[in-house]
Amino acid sequence: MTMSDWNRVTRPIPVPNEWTKPFWESARRGVLALQRCQACKHFQHPPYATCVRCMAIDLAFEPVSGKGAIYAYTIMYHAGDKRFAAAIPYASIIVELDDAPGALLAANLLEAPYTEAKVGRRVEVVFEPLNDDITLPQFRLARDKQ
Amino acid sequence: MWENRCKVAVSGVGFSRVTRSAEIPLAAHALAAVKGAVEDSGLALSDIDGLATYPELPATGHAMVDGITIVSVNCMMAMLKLPNLAWHVQVETVNIGGAVQQAVNALLAGVCRYAVVWRAMHNPKGTYQNLPGAQAQGAAQFTAPYGFGGPGQGMAVAYTRWLERHGQSREKMATLAVTQRRHSHKNPHAYFCGQPLTREDYLNSRMVAYPFCLYDCDIPVQGAVAIVLTTAARARDLRPRPAYIAGYGQRLAFEVAGRIGSLSSYMEGGRSSSRLTWERSGFSPKDVDVAQIYDGFSASVIYGLESYGFCKEGEALDFIQDGRMELDGELPLNTFGGSLSTGRIHGLWHIIEGALQASGRAGERQVEDVNVSFVGASAPIVQGTTFIFVREPY
Ligand SMILES: [Zn+2]
Repeated sequence: MTMSDWNRVTRPIPVPNEWTKPFWESARRGVLALQRCQACKHFQHPPYATCVRCMAIDLAFEPVSGKGAIYAYTIMYHAGDKRFAAAIPYASIIVELDDAPGALLAANLLEAPYTEAKVGRRVEVVFEPLNDDITLPQFRLARDKQ
Repeated sequence: MWENRCKVAVSGVGFSRVTRSAEIPLAAHALAAVKGAVEDSGLALSDIDGLATYPELPATGHAMVDGITIVSVNCMMAMLKLPNLAWHVQVETVNIGGAVQQAVNALLAGVCRYAVVWRAMHNPKGTYQNLPGAQAQGAAQFTAPYGFGGPGQGMAVAYTRWLERHGQSREKMATLAVTQRRHSHKNPHAYFCGQPLTREDYLNSRMVAYPFCLYDCDIPVQGAVAIVLTTAARARDLRPRPAYIAGYGQRLAFEVAGRIGSLSSYMEGGRSSSRLTWERSGFSPKDVDVAQIYDGFSASVIYGLESYGFCKEGEALDFIQDGRMELDGELPLNTFGGSLSTGRIHGLWHIIEGALQASGRAGERQVEDVNVSFVGASAPIVQGTTFIFVREPY
């Protein structure tokens, strides 16, 4: 079987900061929201102090659809981080969202064999609660036929 | 062209013993390399009046302990007690190539006469990476929870994109690993000197972070290398034939920390750094007789060959086939074995080999009739440096 076993993995818990808090608060409510420049409407991730396209400082978090494609990926075989040893081999993917070209999100490919990770494959967001405060956006293969 | 081309040269070079992990303090490695380079030039330590390094830890998460895990300019000065020190710098960006470029500038400005640059790399016994704890802070909050731990994964994701967008196969990379290993058998300082590597070894080796297998990753080691730089006029009076610096370029990453996986940033990094080097030197890729391209992970060589302009995008794995990267090939490549064979010493060893090939001092691995010797010392390429050394000033 080529499914990665995530049940025995202890993930490091993200610590939200001033810039990233809205991202994690949205994720906890099951909404993927990215930082968007209010001047030029460019989405960016990770969050930053200024718009990386036009240097504007008027930035706000806005929901995105959560549909996109695998931009790149790797299959991890080496247990460099022992907490992930139980899941090896597993797919770490980089997702480019339809709504936010250029804003790349790291994730794991869930609910599918790791061999399904391929550049360009359609994916959609799912949410994986880590504790009461933090929920990780994750991705699975897209279920609609768009 | 650059008005200062060929006004500064690399003279002596020096190497410490390279060991798998720390057996003696890192300062002892750095000292051996620096003394070796000064001696190779035929200088005395008291002649050295400039010091430069990039002291960053290669492995993440370990404490910076001067003399043990890093070797700062302060540490070197405490050992050497140079009576005539006139200039020093410790750079924080663009890795060791940035320190070399600062030394070139200092020599051009006339604020020192003989500068030494070293890179000392620590490999602790036990775990190389010391990964974030139960909490993921800062940029790591968007990567560590997904098991993105070491630098290898960041490089691997760009490589899958390259492979699948261009319909290429990772098996072709065996040529790079095997040829570089063969080159290293003519480099007595290399960690893997004398240890054979076959195509079958490469194809059967264990996967680390697909598409990288074990032999796509340079081996972490403890060691140091060093060079002496001086003005061209002074270099001509020293023992070694000078390797003249015809031009250099650099690129500071303009990516936000924590953004990973962008093949296009690697390519843009290499393009903009090399463009400066081509413009300043007046050469183009077709003029290059021998090339050293940073290979901390094998795929860096792909991004280098393509973004520096040696071949088209998507073609690098085909470019290195058919003997093209052999010592007598069309573009002899990583002729000292590269980091894949010397061990992880970052880009200064690539710079050393570029200089040795230009000055005709590469011994058994010397490429015939070298005039133009190119170095891409970027580690990684998204922010890094490039150089051209020449045998004959022009
Ligand atoms: Zn903007």
